[in-house]
Amino acid sequence: MTSSVTASPAAAIRRIRIQVNGQEHECEVRPNRLLVDFLRYDLGLTGTKEGCGVGVCGLCTVLLDGQMVASCLTLAVFADGGEVTTIEGLAVGAELHPVQDCFIEYGGFQCGICTPGQIMAAKALLDDNPTPTEEEIKEWMMGNLCRCTGYYKIVESVQRAAGRLRGAGAGDGATARQGPAGARAGRLAAR
Amino acid sequence: MENAPRIQKEHRMTMTGAHVIGSPVPRVEGPLKVRGEARYSADITLPGMLWAKFLRSPYPHARVLSVDVSRARALRGVKAVLTGADIPPRLYGRRLRDMPFLARDRVRFIGERVAAVAAEDPDVAEEALGLIEVEHEELPAVFDPEAAMQPGAPILHEALATYEGLPAPPPDIPNVHSLARWSMGDLAQGFREAHRVFEHSFRTPFVHQGYLEPHAGVVEVDGSGRLQVWATNKTPFVLRKHLSESLDLPEEMITVQPIYLGADFGGKGSVMDLPLCYYLVQRTGRPVKAVMSYVEELTAANPRHASVITLRTGVTRDGRFCARHARAIFNSGAYGAMKPTPFVNLGGAAAGGGVYRIPHLQIDAYSVYTNGVPCGHMRAPGEPQMIFAVESQTDMIAAELGVDPLEFRLRNGLAEGDPLVTGHRLTHVRLRQTLEAAGRAIGWGTPKPGPCIGRGLAAGERHVGIGQGSAEVALELNGLVRVLTGVPDTGTGAPTVLRQIVAEVLALPLGQVEVAMGSTDQLPPDSGAGGSRVTHVVGRAAWQAATTMRRRVLERAAQELTLPAEKLDLRDGWIVADGTRRLSLDEVTKRHGPLQVVETYVADHYAALTSFSVQAAEVEVDPESGQVHLRRLVTAHDVGRVLNPQTHQGQIEGGAIQGLGYALMENLVIEEGRVAASHLGEYKLPTIKDIPPLETVLLEEPGGPVPFEGKAIGEHSISTVAPAVANAVFDAVGVRITDLPITAEKIHQALRARPAPTR
Ligand code: FES
Ligand code: FES
Repeated sequence: MTSSVTASPAAAIRRIRIQVNGQEHECEVRPNRLLVDFLRYDLGLTGTKEGCGVGVCGLCTVLLDGQMVASCLTLAVFADGGEVTTIEGLAVGAELHPVQDCFIEYGGFQCGICTPGQIMAAKALLDDNPTPTEEEIKEWMMGNLCRCTGYYKIVESVQRAAGRLRGAGAGDGATARQGPAGARAGRLAAR
Repeated sequence: MENAPRIQKEHRMTMTGAHVIGSPVPRVEGPLKVRGEARYSADITLPGMLWAKFLRSPYPHARVLSVDVSRARALRGVKAVLTGADIPPRLYGRRLRDMPFLARDRVRFIGERVAAVAAEDPDVAEEALGLIEVEHEELPAVFDPEAAMQPGAPILHEALATYEGLPAPPPDIPNVHSLARWSMGDLAQGFREAHRVFEHSFRTPFVHQGYLEPHAGVVEVDGSGRLQVWATNKTPFVLRKHLSESLDLPEEMITVQPIYLGADFGGKGSVMDLPLCYYLVQRTGRPVKAVMSYVEELTAANPRHASVITLRTGVTRDGRFCARHARAIFNSGAYGAMKPTPFVNLGGAAAGGGVYRIPHLQIDAYSVYTNGVPCGHMRAPGEPQMIFAVESQTDMIAAELGVDPLEFRLRNGLAEGDPLVTGHRLTHVRLRQTLEAAGRAIGWGTPKPGPCIGRGLAAGERHVGIGQGSAEVALELNGLVRVLTGVPDTGTGAPTVLRQIVAEVLALPLGQVEVAMGSTDQLPPDSGAGGSRVTHVVGRAAWQAATTMRRRVLERAAQELTLPAEKLDLRDGWIVADGTRRLSLDEVTKRHGPLQVVETYVADHYAALTSFSVQAAEVEVDPESGQVHLRRLVTAHDVGRVLNPQTHQGQIEGGAIQGLGYALMENLVIEEGRVAASHLGEYKLPTIKDIPPLETVLLEEPGGPVPFEGKAIGEHSISTVAPAVANAVFDAVGVRITDLPITAEKIHQALRARPAPTR
């Protein structure tokens, strides 16, 4: 697979190997190709959205080696040798990930443009911290803007998903770990 | 969840026989959206597609002397470059046609399109823009709307009187393209009756709608010569009409394809870049795609109008409003093209009387050209501006009179049969109940939990929207029912509610009803999303279609069973007689073929019924920094039957947080015509950390025009947040902020200028 190149000299082209949603890709890209464009236009994975283009809205959030990144700030060549998970990689066949289920059930979106990013961010949070407090959820998710929902139902969706991931025995999200809001600094890991 | 929104319902109704209306049915399109499979305009890629980019003016007002595109045309990968001279000299407007697609000899705002490029790759198109040379001669510019109205101000549109779509001869005031006036009573008489007269002025900023999906579009001419369009547009049938008029193509040759929208909030009703995409398609013979960057969104889309509003209000000796002259000046920017109303102004200005009985009332709204980004509609257009002024002044007058603000509102509030300035005599007025419910929820009159804490409230009313809706209901061979709508999904939940309406009428399990968006070829014209209209008019069309479907199904079954149709009923996909299942739906279709019903519903005038909303805020102000902490927000609404509590609540919460943004942070600063924010990081929108604990109060009462007696909710929670917060800040520290947003800096300055009274 080769991305279309017109103005840049062929010498600048880089060959990268990258695993996306478990599938191996070997591609030629320009060194300035952004991961978001690579995913959307070279691989056709348009589930990842682009809003601000400057790393502040969270629409383009994907996981790179399990870390949340803004794909609009990440070059495709930096993902060389890495593993990327996008929204298309969360469900297993017909079975949705619990975070996806809870966003539907608890109304965590309206227009849906922020939703792939919200869900990837929430998944990264719950992988890292299965029992987040409400404050921790807000601290972690503050880089994911949503203009439709007013956020209340996003908080609820993430809480419910946490409960569901912990298993039915733990109840459906009503309890949360007490403690200081200990979200990690630098949520968008730079590579 | 300490921060969970609490929802409290008063007068909850139950509906006999209802099985899906009133339940929180999750979104029908939910699985597509959480899988990343819902397709938005920017996701469309066609074989051979080119990318368009636009060169924009760096000057707020200038003559364009020459545009040299020769170097850009020569760049490898560039397929076409257009300037104003290359396209027909047509002007565009949703009503008032005053805007060129590409500047010819004049630019009127920073960001106006001067040239268009189509190239193999967006980076190449961008590079080509840098190779275009434009010679300008700067002209005197005007940025302040009041200055623009002064004699001798630079004139933006000398030919205004000749423009198509001009609502009425404009008043003889420089740069005013519309003066909308509403009045009742006799203003002079009203002020003669006044014991005291108060005059205050208020200012509101430009703000962007803040949808996170920038404008995007793909245009192609297909094998049969038809124009195919995928676009971020909420009104596909209007878009088809406007493209037809702009491009001189018959409407039958244009198809607007269904697509998801990454929200709208009023901002996605224009043709935006699509005509230029079409001209590029014409030149190159290839499909063309244009995606705005968010920077272009902030600088060159169609934000909410900034305003200067002056209210002169007369009050009688016993503290009742007797007269008001409201004067709103809306800064329209360089063009009026983005306003869809026939009077090319903002309908929300009519809220100048608030929710009060003011026998002598006149409202004048001026829409004024300045050298800035052209302004358009945003959720409840004109209302957040006007209600901020009205509800701030209500408290200011109450304070002067020494009356409690809630008591003052109750004393002056609209009652049954009172007229609005728009001519409606209101019925089912529940202002008192809504005010009292909001007051109770915020703890009005109870001791405050600490110093520098204040409470404020504000009230508004808003109609149920009108327009034309269409829907198709089809019964397929397999017994499934498919609903087709021509309204694109902007996120409001409309498809889900349409599904509920049809399932309810046909007494079908939800799983047996599917909803799809149709193209403009598949349905009769529809006004599209917006104006608190969809659940009403499209809901009615779907309700009618389902009702007709029900009748036809029963008639066919009656033949089959040789029973009178009146003896038959539908229940869970079965035709039932005397309580026993006789035939399944698919048996009916198998014998008689599939059925299809298309209905159109038109509501052409507003009902005498409205919805009152009261929002109340409790704030804490840091006396040192002036920082406002919103401790609690109450949102109370006089609603009809709630068809879907989840999507209904979603509208309330989303609108309230947009209102919070307008109150405290959103501000599209434009300095000398240049938008100060250079990207979304510099333009503050509320984040998940900004939301206060929210309490919702719903006063449900049937009687609305929406199927199953609902009313509208989409634009009802946005306008009263800012005045409620301003009033709470005054209550907390005695500082009155009359220009939005209410920032720490403004409060800090006011506190330093005047020590806060001790409370
Ligand atoms: S598009 Fe990447 S953060 Fe906004
Ligand atoms: S659902 Fe529309 S922006 Fe979040």
